[in-house]
Amino acid sequence: MNQILDDQTIEINLPSKVGYERVAMASAAALARLGGLAPERVEDLKSAVAEACINAMQHGNNWRPEARVVVHMDVSADRFIVSVTDQGDGVPEVPKYPGIEKIIEEKVSPRGLGVFMIQQLVDKVNFNQTADGGHTMTMEIRSTK
Amino acid sequence: MTQANEIQMEQLGAVTLLDIRGDITILSESFLNDAYEDANNQGAGKILLKFQEDAYINSGGISVLIQLLAKTEQNAQQIGIIGLSDHFTKIFNMVGITKFAKIYKTREDALEAMS
Amino acid sequence: MSAKKQMVRRINNHAVEVSLPSKLGYERIAMDCSASFAKMAGFTPQRIEDLKTAVAEACLNAIEHGNKNHPDTRVLVTMNFKDDRFSVSVKDGGNGISRLPRDRTVMRRIENLEPPKGLGIYLIKQLMDEVEFNKMTKDGHSVKMVIKLKN
Repeated sequence: MNQILDDQTIEINLPSKVGYERVAMASAAALARLGGLAPERVEDLKSAVAEACINAMQHGNNWRPEARVVVHMDVSADRFIVSVTDQGDGVPEVPKYPGIEKIIEEKVSPRGLGVFMIQQLVDKVNFNQTADGGHTMTMEIRSTK
Repeated sequence: MTQANEIQMEQLGAVTLLDIRGDITILSESFLNDAYEDANNQGAGKILLKFQEDAYINSGGISVLIQLLAKTEQNAQQIGIIGLSDHFTKIFNMVGITKFAKIYKTREDALEAMS
Repeated sequence: MSAKKQMVRRINNHAVEVSLPSKLGYERIAMDCSASFAKMAGFTPQRIEDLKTAVAEACLNAIEHGNKNHPDTRVLVTMNFKDDRFSVSVKDGGNGISRLPRDRTVMRRIENLEPPKGLGIYLIKQLMDEVEFNKMTKDGHSVKMVIKLKN
């Protein structure tokens, strides 16, 4: 993470605290508008960024407030790429969303909703482990689906 | 940095309206549960949930709603939803909320369908 | 020192940091970012508008200054909310991610700028509760702005 940033990249560095994902959301929306991403996709982007940050804070960082979440964003006219990195020490895998029927009818506990939402909203998602034990989720949204 | 939901209950014929102000996140749990308990205790059979169109709704809030729907399902209550933006209407569909609650475009549509 | 350790050491409070290219237009990201944070902190919409204007002006100054000296530098915006005080620092003159304080040494070498002139600076002073201008290094300047939550 100590690399020189590409001259177009935005970096946001957040504490792992409830609500701070909204700051990343606002930044992503501002960059998307600046870069000319199609307006219909900006809402998808906002939710995806929020969920990825919450996921990083909750599963990656265990809600330790001093653990950071680093967001990198890049935009061009036809696509928006964002990566969200946690510091690790959390669960390596996010549980899978079991579907609403299982939760309501079979009393399975709700989980994995955030990642499920992300997968539905963006065009590409990748999960990777970082060199120092953290995780990075990289998402791509294209102007035209 | 606290978050509170102000929820007002209104009786519209056979339908109990819960007008929910504010963002819907994990922090909404106590507010939504309390409001539902009140409605439930008053024997509400049909409940209309109204959200603010510009509300921030995240997975934590959706989890809370799903848990609520588990209760309404158990209590055989009919649930309607209004006030959602197109974006969150899409998301509610994606996660399957529409299998247990119906989303309406307007209050009138909801009341007509539910009364 | 591993990147992880550096990251943990660097920001040991609840600050939010935004690193931007030193390019016109990118101040909007700092504006919306600070507005979002200030909204969470409980500031009124009017005060948030004041903040956005001040942040924009500070960033524009940084971009101008940065471009004059090093077009490939970045603008670093650091925000924090503590004890009812919302502070935003805007720094220019860094490359890539801001390096960690060595800060302690750098801080001790702060020289005060001549009071900078210009409409942007005037606006910042009018709109914010506290303003501080500092020259961090030969090539870097910083502006720190504070608004306070009133009841």
